[in-house]
Amino acid sequence: MRIVLKYLALLSLVFLLTGCQTKEGNEKVQLFLDWTPNTNHTGIYVAKEKGFFEEVGLDVEIMLPGEVCAEQIVGSGKGQFGISFQNQVTQARSEDLPIVSIAAIIQKNTGGYYTPKAKGIKTPKDFEGHKYGAYGSELEKASLQAVMNKEGGDASKIETVQVGNTDYFVALERDIDFVSIFYAWTGIEGEIRDADMHFIKTTDFAPELDTYSPLIITNDKMIEDNPDTVQAFINAVYKGYEFAIDNPQKSADILIAAEPDLQPELVRRSQEWLSPHYKEGAEAWGVQEASRWENFAEFMVKHQIIGEVDIQQAFTNEFIANAMK
Amino acid sequence: MRIENMWKPVLALLIAITLWEIAVKLLQIEVWVLPAPSVIAKEMFIVFPAIFPHMLATIKLVFIGFSSAIVLGISVATMLHILPTAREIVMPFLVISQNIPTIVLAPLLMIWFGLGDFPKYLIIATTAFFPIAIATLDGFRQTERDLMHYMQMMGATKKQIFLRLQLPDAIPSIFSGIKIAATYSVMTAVVAEWLGAQKGIGVFMTLSASSYRTPRVFVAIVITIILSLAFFGLFLALEKWFTRWKRNEGVQ
Repeated sequence: MRIVLKYLALLSLVFLLTGCQTKEGNEKVQLFLDWTPNTNHTGIYVAKEKGFFEEVGLDVEIMLPGEVCAEQIVGSGKGQFGISFQNQVTQARSEDLPIVSIAAIIQKNTGGYYTPKAKGIKTPKDFEGHKYGAYGSELEKASLQAVMNKEGGDASKIETVQVGNTDYFVALERDIDFVSIFYAWTGIEGEIRDADMHFIKTTDFAPELDTYSPLIITNDKMIEDNPDTVQAFINAVYKGYEFAIDNPQKSADILIAAEPDLQPELVRRSQEWLSPHYKEGAEAWGVQEASRWENFAEFMVKHQIIGEVDIQQAFTNEFIANAMK
Repeated sequence: MRIENMWKPVLALLIAITLWEIAVKLLQIEVWVLPAPSVIAKEMFIVFPAIFPHMLATIKLVFIGFSSAIVLGISVATMLHILPTAREIVMPFLVISQNIPTIVLAPLLMIWFGLGDFPKYLIIATTAFFPIAIATLDGFRQTERDLMHYMQMMGATKKQIFLRLQLPDAIPSIFSGIKIAATYSVMTAVVAEWLGAQKGIGVFMTLSASSYRTPRVFVAIVITIILSLAFFGLFLALEKWFTRWKRNEGVQ
């Protein structure tokens, strides 16, 4: 009996505490990151630290991913928002995960292949006969082939090894010849480390792979039942990224303060590199073009990575359009 | 377990699978959240040609890794048994070595030894080694005192006592260690592959999970279970064969 009372007391305490947090009336939502915090996420950290979320009545908790995908957490409704990529949203949508992209974080795909100069890989054709360190997606082989097509290379002559979470630079020093990276982060890290690297930009060779990466997702149910929450979230995030575009140094400092484990120099230099790219070529931050979604879905279907997909359900500009006003 | 008694767990399993199937259908659970057993079975049929090479890779890993663990476990235990001082010194470190999580150790080993098969053999061997070594050591200590005195009285050398009495007496014990280790060595192999490999059930799992194909993830789970059971069964059979003299004792 005593134990029961003790637990009851503890429970009421917990309720009291959670009660305190929501006293201001802010709605609690969770955002699941795709990876460790980095400059892709700056606008969100800015919105949180500068109180943009509070202004719209939201209390946003930023969650780090474990081995679980943000897409599945958001799709199942266990989380409200997440960071994902166009290829993953397309793939998820084709497997009936009810997730929707509501804003593109970066307009261009800054990804590409990264190799130590000593390995002698100058163009995608040279990938043949080399070892590729894969992060683990069925898209990788098709992407490699797409990049090699321009010069008539054959991706089946590449040996693929899953490297998982192994540090890229360490993997490259061992038995891996090239990996796929995002320049804004790993590429800048290479610059800082003064590594003698060669970067082959994906879209230079395969423009059809110019995907929105990353982007912000929510699920069908949120859009249907709580469109105001989604709108409020996007309004705040929009402001956050606008700030990050105009103030690279200040926003980098905000990210460093929020995530002190990150290397400050990397964050600052990455931010400076990335800030002009957030809305590059688009009418405003976050806007997504239907044709780019359609083309990429076609690419994935053509390479039999997915079956069929109703790509119009995978993204919406509705919230960004309202945020622009 | 006797074959005649097998129907009980089999029936329980069938009931559980049926309930699972009904629950998924009734509650209309989406395939990517939890696929029904029938969906998994169908998927298994479709992807079997694709998963087969992965299976072979995993089986090879387990076989090499696990056999080294057996050799290593028994020889280290023998050494520690013969040299009590060594045993006192090494024992705490053996226990400590078991407290390093595989998930942390695996990437490190891959950094040190590359992404080939060797670090994976090491991971399987180090996790399987411990129960085998401990069980073997215990086995050596459980020798019947009377028989030992008897042999000593007859003037048997230490080597003779070990080979004729202690080692054979320890066999059931050694096998319990091996069986414990065998149950999770397939799983260890899958986790190791998951952290970096070219082929294997772990790789198949990562690829399926990253494309949200939950039925395929379940196929990989089912295959892992089947392999584990087969592996366990193999050692059960070996144990029976190695200890057949024990069962015959009573008759003689």
